[in-house]
Amino acid sequence: MSSANSTTSEQDAILRSGIDRSLRHPVMFFLTSGAAWLAVSIVLGIVASWKVHSPELLSGCAWLTYGRVFPAHINALIYGWGFQAAFAIIIWMMARLSRKECKAVGTILAAGHIWNLGVALGIVGIFAGFSTGIPWMEFPIFAWPVLLVSYISIIIWSFIQFRVRPEGHVYISQWYFLAAMIWFPWIYITANTLLLCIPGHPLMGVAINTWYKSAILFLFFTPVALGAAYYLAPKVTGSSVYSYSLAKLGFWSLAIIAPWAGMQKLVGVPIPYFLPYVGAAATVLLFVPAITASINILKTATSSRDVLKGSPSLQFMTAGIVGLVIMACAAVFLNLPNSTLPLSQFSMSGYGFQILALYGFFSLVMFGSIYFIVPRVTRREWLSRRLIKMHFFFSIYGIMTVALIAIFGGIQQGAAQEAFEQPWQNAATSAFPYAVATTIAWCFILFSNVFFFLQLTLMWLRLGRRSSHPTLLTSSHDSSSSPHGDDGDIDNAGPAFQATH
Amino acid sequence: MPNKNQHSDLDESINVTEAHGRIVREAAACAREKRIVQNGIEPVSLWALGACAIVFVIAGGILGGGGNLFAYGTNFREGYVRTPAPGAADSGPVPKEALVAYMAKGAKIYSAKCNGCHGSDAKGNGATFPSLVGSKWVLGETERFAMIVLNGLQGPVSNGTTYGVMPPQGIGMSPEDLAGVMTYVRNNFGNSKGDVVTMEMAKAAIDVSGVRKKVGTSVTGPELESDHLKNLSGTPLDPKTLVDPITLEASKLP
Repeated sequence: MSSANSTTSEQDAILRSGIDRSLRHPVMFFLTSGAAWLAVSIVLGIVASWKVHSPELLSGCAWLTYGRVFPAHINALIYGWGFQAAFAIIIWMMARLSRKECKAVGTILAAGHIWNLGVALGIVGIFAGFSTGIPWMEFPIFAWPVLLVSYISIIIWSFIQFRVRPEGHVYISQWYFLAAMIWFPWIYITANTLLLCIPGHPLMGVAINTWYKSAILFLFFTPVALGAAYYLAPKVTGSSVYSYSLAKLGFWSLAIIAPWAGMQKLVGVPIPYFLPYVGAAATVLLFVPAITASINILKTATSSRDVLKGSPSLQFMTAGIVGLVIMACAAVFLNLPNSTLPLSQFSMSGYGFQILALYGFFSLVMFGSIYFIVPRVTRREWLSRRLIKMHFFFSIYGIMTVALIAIFGGIQQGAAQEAFEQPWQNAATSAFPYAVATTIAWCFILFSNVFFFLQLTLMWLRLGRRSSHPTLLTSSHDSSSSPHGDDGDIDNAGPAFQATH
Repeated sequence: MPNKNQHSDLDESINVTEAHGRIVREAAACAREKRIVQNGIEPVSLWALGACAIVFVIAGGILGGGGNLFAYGTNFREGYVRTPAPGAADSGPVPKEALVAYMAKGAKIYSAKCNGCHGSDAKGNGATFPSLVGSKWVLGETERFAMIVLNGLQGPVSNGTTYGVMPPQGIGMSPEDLAGVMTYVRNNFGNSKGDVVTMEMAKAAIDVSGVRKKVGTSVTGPELESDHLKNLSGTPLDPKTLVDPITLEASKLP
């Protein structure tokens, strides 16, 4: 490495370090409060899914009935955890990619607190019985403008950074982030206007709501996670993105197909009936953007097996992309109108599919990003590779159980429901083991996240490892016996040190 | 290690290597990062295109299988709503509780035959048309009530009052009709007897009416007192029993 090169890369490192420094408070705020909501949501998810097979649990308490716990669970998962993780990743990666320090830390932090307040009041509102009753939009009406305003106050700065970036190529991640940042207000304002402000015919309301749920998944969470994956895979491995053509194909097919999806859940409902059929076709076609992006990212991430084995970010991200592949296959398998759609329309497969998307794909990619970002913004390394491994494996077991339930249990339950000459009890009986398995899966996920919460909290308290060596899942060949690298090796750091993370 | 700020002249005295090391130390994670290199030029692999083509065929099949997607005249695709199970089609209408079904039948008869004189509130006018509300002839023995409905009533009654002549209503009245209207009057307009005058009882009433001493004439107060002061024979029916709302037969469905 020549000295001129070395100086440039040092200056570059200092610039990037400055960007990380400027964002440490908002990023850590979103990640820690998001993780707290994830914990709340998982506990509520366990309670809700327990009630599916043992309805008498906690039934004496009005605010702990299924009709309140379940919406609280899913809303905490989406607006508490999902959106805040997305905020942290968007503001950090957009700043890095635009090469600009964040100048609006105070505004973002204030808006983040307001967002949290909105979510908290919304959850309390659901528990108190003031839910709107519209799936994924159950918060009482007052919460929605609050969330929109704080969303805009958080996200607008990433737009500004993008506008004032040094001229140059717009990277793939930036396409996805910008698209998600624009698409979310569109779907959010549309759904809120048509459902809460000027409600029309209730049947069309149901249709708009199913579209909103699908659009949140495929027009916000999916592009955010894909943007993060497109950032992490080449960044950690150091190799180029496998194919630029695939990336373009994946992005534009998502942009064209995803807005049509969603209404297939209403086959048989008296709405103009091209809507459910177009929805079913579009959901099936989502296989195309999902599989092209997955191939691209997986080919990039697996270009170096050693790096993949060692890096927690890359492992989580890869697992999330595998989740996307499974989700894409499930989207094809569960939405065939004349065979599987009637079976999956009213069975647990719908919920399973959403959890597969929200956790098996989106959240795993977010965890990967978190394992990459947090050491940079806190300037501490993760404490223990064992905690990371526990988090990883129990998450995978939990989410695999949910995915299996989604696909097989939902079909079984749906088939039992279709046999309408039999008593309804038969359908409930055939769903019972799968309901129990869902509860167990949530327990696995909670168990895995205990390790994540513990370690994230310690990192937030700046109690992470002071070292220039990353915490890798495998010990590098030339390091000493200590799993954490050499003690006091902080002075050995330098640009020549080529470990990857 | 001396603090670099304590030196008066940074250019002269700062240890360049040390400062460099310090900066890189603080940016260690950033310094070891790799640059993003994009624009791999691998071609799109054939099997990926093949998988996408299969999915396109499936999606086309979904749209094609939807039939006429823009038929706004109908609400949902023909054949989507399932036909009843074999055998379920001839099981007739949804069964109802006996009291509800009998009263629904009786309401129609009442409005056709009784409404004109006794009024929609069954209070009559107090002079020529007596009130049916709370009347002991309505709520008391069922045979007496049935005889009046079937044959009409003339002349003074036991308390000495003479109302107007009530014409006979029994012509063309089936046992279901009689049972329905009697149950209806006994359980409506503020009456709440709570029992059902069954079809069996109504049939018995028609039989009794056919063998009266003076068949074809209206009954009189004394005749009712002497011959008909009893309840109609027949098995009482639990008012909650499910019956067919049209035939009033006990429902065969579970």
